[in-house]
Amino acid sequence: MDLEVLIENVLNALTAGITIGCIYGLMCIGLGLIFGIMKVVNFAQGELLMLGMFASLYLVTGGGVLAFLGPYVGPFVGAILAGPIVFAGGALLHKALIARVSGLRTAGTLDEGHFGQLIVTLGISLILQNGGLIVFGSTPLTVRTPLASSAFEIGPVYGDATVFLNKARLIACAVAIITALSLWLLLEYTRLGKALRAAADNPTAATYMGIDVERAYRIAFGLGSGITAIAGGLMATYLSFSPFIGLDYVIIMYSGVVLGGMGSILGAFWGGLTVGFVQQCSALVLPPQLQNAAIFVVFLLIVMLRPQGLFGRSAERA
Amino acid sequence: MAALLEIEGLCVAYGGLRALQDVSLTVAAGQFVTVVGPNGAGKSTLFKTISGVVRPTAGRIRFQGNDLLALSASKRAHLGIAHVPEGRQVFKTLTVRENLEMGAYPESGRTQWTRTLERIHTLFPVLAERATQLAGTLSGGEQQMVAIGRGLACAPKVLMLDEPSMGLAPAVADTIFERISQIHREDGVTILLVEQRAVEALELSDHGYVLETGHMVLDGPYETLLADDRVRRSYLGLTDA
Repeated sequence: MDLEVLIENVLNALTAGITIGCIYGLMCIGLGLIFGIMKVVNFAQGELLMLGMFASLYLVTGGGVLAFLGPYVGPFVGAILAGPIVFAGGALLHKALIARVSGLRTAGTLDEGHFGQLIVTLGISLILQNGGLIVFGSTPLTVRTPLASSAFEIGPVYGDATVFLNKARLIACAVAIITALSLWLLLEYTRLGKALRAAADNPTAATYMGIDVERAYRIAFGLGSGITAIAGGLMATYLSFSPFIGLDYVIIMYSGVVLGGMGSILGAFWGGLTVGFVQQCSALVLPPQLQNAAIFVVFLLIVMLRPQGLFGRSAERA
Repeated sequence: MAALLEIEGLCVAYGGLRALQDVSLTVAAGQFVTVVGPNGAGKSTLFKTISGVVRPTAGRIRFQGNDLLALSASKRAHLGIAHVPEGRQVFKTLTVRENLEMGAYPESGRTQWTRTLERIHTLFPVLAERATQLAGTLSGGEQQMVAIGRGLACAPKVLMLDEPSMGLAPAVADTIFERISQIHREDGVTILLVEQRAVEALELSDHGYVLETGHMVLDGPYETLLADDRVRRSYLGLTDA
């Protein structure tokens, strides 16, 4: 009897870990993309996640333009559309503020613009948190979908042990994987994607090729913002959020990105997946308050054993 | 001959340091022009100013009659100016093929892609063999080939080469020189070359310039430069017999 309970708990933690991990993976890709291409450490990434949640909320609930899609399809379409909305916001943010402390303007300076970026992104983060408090209020909200409280049942697999797959999370996970895959295809195979990678690799040489590096960075910042916003929209279907939720997740994003190896997009996804997996599985043996502590124990272990990250690699000739 | 690139009275300063002073240079279409000079003379600065990553304090640069200084750096490549920078500067994390594709980023490169790629592979067969390898894992000579191939990929009107022999074994450098000469003779590409190995470089060129501490001190065809005592001693390593 005890064995059945144990098996059920383990299997459910594993599936929850994988589904939530994929969404975390997508969230991390946004941050990883911005760092990987622009070398900007963005402290406002958590707030972009929050903006994605609210964008999706206002699109699909109440009098939102997508309200007609209903509570089953609406929240996921809303999450996807939060992407382009926050993309535009991110691109504007880059043009107005980030470009002044990054890219060609700070290339070759003593700190490569990192001090400026720290202050600017931290400032943006504070403004968005408190601005969000004024505009959105402090009541925790959620994008309600009946799918969040129903599950596919697999099994019983052993005795009475059954795996429950939360429908909302499962769909969110699928959307996350598809989004991540699309982004990867974009970066790997399109002219724009290759130009972004070239601008990341060597901005001066990219300029010699006729690539407008500032524009490439603006697109990269917009993409990184939009990707994290999509993850936010997806998470909004199964958890409640307020304007300060970014603080909880920015730490997870950083652990994921560092785990995967800074600058590796694929790595950021695996890093996020690892973090989600560890977080959910630690629930088996640890009280919920210690879930984030478990993430950092695993984080420290990996950083000690593989400082270049799980997927970090060097293209330099040895 | 129509002047392709005309530089007049160019001055560049880094902070208070004068890198180029009143430099003038003309490259006619189809010419092979070499700039020689010691380290720190401002040769790379000259190229960077033409490409637009360094802004001059005075002077004019005209390309096919257009004022280059009015254009941003990234727009200049689209006119058909290919810059093969000092130290190769290949995209290390991109494959060899992707590096060449980035060279073909301008419109002119995309429309002629199949033909130029074939030509690049004829000149440098090793690039076809290593198409899917990351450029950062190649040897110095191979990276130089990627850099030159990348420059050719936009079907340029002028190919600017900054120290292509730097850090290469003499035999490899010879191959590179041979290919540059081939690109000039067979493809009719105008070449602007900056080089430390002055003898080989000047032998190939129609016209040479000598740049010293930011000043153009001398220019003329190979024979004229060869006849100049200072040039013979300083750059050609020849002593009077």
